[in-house]
Amino acid sequence: MFMSDKPIKGEKRVFMTGNEVCAWAALAADADIMYGYPITPQNEVMHYWTRLSPKHGRKFLQTEDEISAGFTTIGGVMAGRKSFSATAGPGNTLFQEPMSMAEMMRIPTVVIIMQRGGPSTATVIYSQQEVTMTTFGGNGEGFRVVYSTSGHQDLYDYTIKSFNTAWKYKFPTFVLGDGYQAKMREPLTMYDPAERGIEMVKPFPYVGKPGMPGTDRPTEYLRNTYNTEAELYDAIMEIARDYEKAAPEIIEWENVQTDDADTLIVAHGIVSRAARGAVETLRKDGIKAGHFRPITLRPFAEEELRKAASKAKNILVVESSYGQFLKLVKEYLYGLDKPIDTILRPGVGITAEEIVARIKEGR
Amino acid sequence: MRIVEAFIGEYASGKSENAINRSLELLQQGREVTIVDLDTVEPFYTLRPLKKSLEQKGLRVIAWDPEETHGLGEAGSLLKQEMLWALRYSGDIIMDIGYGVHGAKIFNLIVGAETDPDLKIYAVVNITRPITGNKEDIVEYVQTLGRVDGIINNTHLGDETTKDLIEEGAEVVTAAAKELGLPVVYTAVVEDLRTQFDDCDAQGNPLKILHRFMPDAFW
Repeated sequence: MFMSDKPIKGEKRVFMTGNEVCAWAALAADADIMYGYPITPQNEVMHYWTRLSPKHGRKFLQTEDEISAGFTTIGGVMAGRKSFSATAGPGNTLFQEPMSMAEMMRIPTVVIIMQRGGPSTATVIYSQQEVTMTTFGGNGEGFRVVYSTSGHQDLYDYTIKSFNTAWKYKFPTFVLGDGYQAKMREPLTMYDPAERGIEMVKPFPYVGKPGMPGTDRPTEYLRNTYNTEAELYDAIMEIARDYEKAAPEIIEWENVQTDDADTLIVAHGIVSRAARGAVETLRKDGIKAGHFRPITLRPFAEEELRKAASKAKNILVVESSYGQFLKLVKEYLYGLDKPIDTILRPGVGITAEEIVARIKEGR
Repeated sequence: MRIVEAFIGEYASGKSENAINRSLELLQQGREVTIVDLDTVEPFYTLRPLKKSLEQKGLRVIAWDPEETHGLGEAGSLLKQEMLWALRYSGDIIMDIGYGVHGAKIFNLIVGAETDPDLKIYAVVNITRPITGNKEDIVEYVQTLGRVDGIINNTHLGDETTKDLIEEGAEVVTAAAKELGLPVVYTAVVEDLRTQFDDCDAQGNPLKILHRFMPDAFW
């Protein structure tokens, strides 16, 4: 077995692009192999992984497309290797078939998504238009974990965490970034997880275990196909129960001055930085604004959102898509009688100033 | 004497920032200056969004206008003919060679680059980027770039940059340059920290005071 030095020793303040951050985080998380197919804006995750991995005894395989990248990631996991991939836009679309299989078979894959403009090829640049697909894509039931990051420290922290969440709960796990985060540059602190007391979950093989199944060890049925409705129903309901049980342990969120907020800005990912900036400006002007940011979009901190929203007089949902996040928010606020205003900008960035202007306009 | 300088280096090492600052410095000396954006991969986070404001300052800017790339599709990464012939402009030529390891290869496409007697190629290095974080890694990296005539210490952490950090960068970069047999062209110091320095860094390298333009190139 190749034993390499720890790629990161101690804590180090560094400056780089988000894609590079993900490659370093995967190294720090003891990822064994990346399977990938190029697509902007995530390419440098691959570029840096292929530069770094040989120095640390890790591996890379470029596949012929994203369907293959998804299935080979599953294959790597089944062989007991911590495997991951990264994709975007139409690549994410192709990933949905293998990730549905990962849901059905409880395969702990990790996939980093850098959202680009959509529908289809659209732009290589930026959007938040892969929310529906990443949370509920494929022909599954959304039995997956999605962390929506807002910058480079998040990308580092949640890429590491994704491996643990995936392997602990055995659900496919996504880091949902975007093209701005992929390409922008800002400082962050890199660290060795062990030095912060974060214990990385050890991978285990699904296949190729010692002994004869049924004789030396219990038989395992690794499958994504069922004969009858009843058989399928039992299998899905078991996954659903596991998912519901794990959800309270997985959900993460952030409240920014929501306690006395009249207007609650709900935003996720990089747009939450604009929301936070808007709260700061509005508070200085004596306007009671607050911000709720779900970090996990799936599962979702429903109770915490409802708590923040029930105290507010009105709600403003802000996102770089035409209502994909809004749909989630409405779902989790069902029955709560509060007016919801929106800033919906598919494929375009949103600034704190624009949010401030909208809230002042509405008063 | 005509000044022709190309800034190459690791992705996000500060090539554009240094190229812009150098161009404006020459312009302020009353010289005729052309700055060329030779990032053929990225559709954004180049100096393109700054094109108009740099032109207003008096620079000749050879770069795509963001509006011009509408309709070009995926990355809009075509060479303009002015880019191919950039070395034939009169006056000084400053080239911002984008996109990390592959960026330097673009010299194949620039007419006259191989024989230009005035061309200097400078590698921009920031040691807070872990891939060029120590002497050994810098040496290894610079050796992959092909011809390099000097190294620039551009060590910084954005808004968190300190004098100590810049000096740490100067020490590491100077050691790497020595091993490579190359000069350190200068140490870049963001203008807010200028008063904390004398005329050179602790290694004796000259300083270049940088105004940060690139934060305006995003959003």
